[in-house]
Amino acid sequence: MIRHILQLIWNKKRSNTLLFLEIFFSFIILFAVFTIVTRYMRMYQSPLGFQTENIWIVHMNFNDLTDTSAVNEMKVRLKDELLSYPQIQAASYGGEATPMGGSVWATSHDQNGFQLKTNIIFGDHDYLETLDLELVRGRWFNESDADARYMPIVITEKFYEETFKGKNLTDSIYIITEESNIVGVVKNFKYRGDFATEDNVAFHYKNENHIDLSRLILRIAPGTKSGFEEEVNQVVASITKKNDFTIEHIEATRSRLAKMIWIPIIAFLSICGFLVINVSMGLFGVLWHSISKRRNEIGLRRTLGASQGEITSQFVSEVTFVSLAGITLGFVFALQFPLLKVFPIEAINYYLAMALSAGIILLLVLLCSFYPSWQASKIHPATALHEE
Amino acid sequence: MIQLKEVSKVYQTKTIETTALNNISIQVSSGEFLSIMGPSGCGKSTLLNIMGMIDEPSSGKVTISGQSISNYHSKALARFRNQKLGFIFQSFHLINELSVIDNVELPLIYRKTSARERRKMAAEALEQVGLKNRMKHFPGQLSGGQKQRVAIARAIVGKPGIILADEPTGNLDSVMGAEIMDILLKLNKELGTTIVMVTHDETMAQKTHRLIRLFDGSQVQ
Ligand SMILES: Nc1ncnc2c1ncn2[C@@H]1O[C@H](COP(=O)(O)OP(=O)(O)OP(=O)(O)O)[C@@H](O)[C@H]1O
Ligand SMILES: [Mg+2]
Repeated sequence: MIRHILQLIWNKKRSNTLLFLEIFFSFIILFAVFTIVTRYMRMYQSPLGFQTENIWIVHMNFNDLTDTSAVNEMKVRLKDELLSYPQIQAASYGGEATPMGGSVWATSHDQNGFQLKTNIIFGDHDYLETLDLELVRGRWFNESDADARYMPIVITEKFYEETFKGKNLTDSIYIITEESNIVGVVKNFKYRGDFATEDNVAFHYKNENHIDLSRLILRIAPGTKSGFEEEVNQVVASITKKNDFTIEHIEATRSRLAKMIWIPIIAFLSICGFLVINVSMGLFGVLWHSISKRRNEIGLRRTLGASQGEITSQFVSEVTFVSLAGITLGFVFALQFPLLKVFPIEAINYYLAMALSAGIILLLVLLCSFYPSWQASKIHPATALHEE
Repeated sequence: MIQLKEVSKVYQTKTIETTALNNISIQVSSGEFLSIMGPSGCGKSTLLNIMGMIDEPSSGKVTISGQSISNYHSKALARFRNQKLGFIFQSFHLINELSVIDNVELPLIYRKTSARERRKMAAEALEQVGLKNRMKHFPGQLSGGQKQRVAIARAIVGKPGIILADEPTGNLDSVMGAEIMDILLKLNKELGTTIVMVTHDETMAQKTHRLIRLFDGSQVQ
């Protein structure tokens, strides 16, 4: 039977080419969209690694202040003053690259010329606690790190697994922008948002009073009234004697950043949905038409001994085989992307998109071909043969 | 072998009701070559379809080899047709997208026959109708007489006990028609195949064992 169907498809290659091409192009479009979508969804799935809810960042600017020791003193006073409020659970100074904002990239070469590309995040000894980072190895910074001979740094787990796994950390010095000593590993720090790639991150320690750390990160107690922001505002203004600072709620920034990705994703998926509906209707129409043109053949086959089930499965199989051929060509095309590494995207995204596209198309084909085929199988043989 | 008892067939369309067959009782015995004649529209094809169990009578009873038919849609009946009946149609009804040999194989597709066995049987059937050298051709490349011979090969390939032929020579010239008739006569004589044939041709009907005449859905002879 399968041989017979394949023979029939082959002999009708001209009329099947259209269906074949339709399936091929649909596959390619679905594949493209699903590659993008799976990539983003997989990014979205991996945890940020830090708290965003009830985290405020006070963005300040000390560039115009020349008296460093006065700034040092003022910064400590500001942090202590704010911490005296019960609404503030923790506070930490950080550098200009903050969660959901900014980035600092650094590329360095070790003694062997091995290149390391990493994000650099500056923070003080309270950074871990304030942002609720998860320490998986070693320790976070403490104030005695200020006197350390080599730059103490903490890296993310992925960075660790990919670059330092199995290596002795405590006594080794690695060049990460400067001679550094890795003291700890945190689970994750996807600080550029939900849809960011998990890039290497290295935290560098700086003392809280350092003039470079101009961002004050605050962890606010849950349930704090919104009016509290005004109080923080006044404290900052009165202690810094400046009013060019801003207070950012990073949860809001997080959803704003995410929305910038969600909107195109939803747009793409809508296009896909539209395509799928169109393809199904087209498929349904083509099948309906071709089956109505083949009533005679159906009558003949029924007369010669085909059961209704055999008629149905013949028509469904014909379409399915042609679709499989279209999908196969699509696969050959799609496979080039991971094989030739056309884009810097993990191969798994392509494979998932291929599976998803093939699955959806096959499902559509089965759904769209079953009903017309089943209807066709109910034709009365005598009636069908009588026509012509 | 085939028994029709008080069979009537009424076609119901929105406006009119056509009585295609009116109270027909016929018995065809094994090995018989029966011909049916009658003017156009008198119900010959309808009668043949009912004998071939591809059409359901409005009333009356059809028995084949002692078994009466209840469900016309069943797989069992389709299988029965496949095993016991061979059909030849006035308008050939070949599948244009299939080669001659694939067309002939068609009834065997619905049996448990291996591909090789199918090929062999189809080639034999084509040889019997003298078309062995046209196996790879497509129906569109054949003359009317050749097409009808392909249809005959298809009807005999499964070695059915009964062949139902609806004007097998109707579309052919007299020389071709005589050739087809010879094939049928030979089948009946040598293999004992029961044949029921609708024809318009008196001389052909004379060559068969028995002749039934229909007029307006009723048997007149
Ligand atoms: N499917 C149908 N629906 C309605 N009427 C039908 C149908 N099939 C046949 N008829 C009618 O039944 C009558 C008998 O038709 P049938 O095809 O049996 O005639 P016939 O004797 O084979 O004629 P011919 O010699 O022209 O082939 C005709 O009047 C025809 O119009
Ligand atoms: Mg007729």
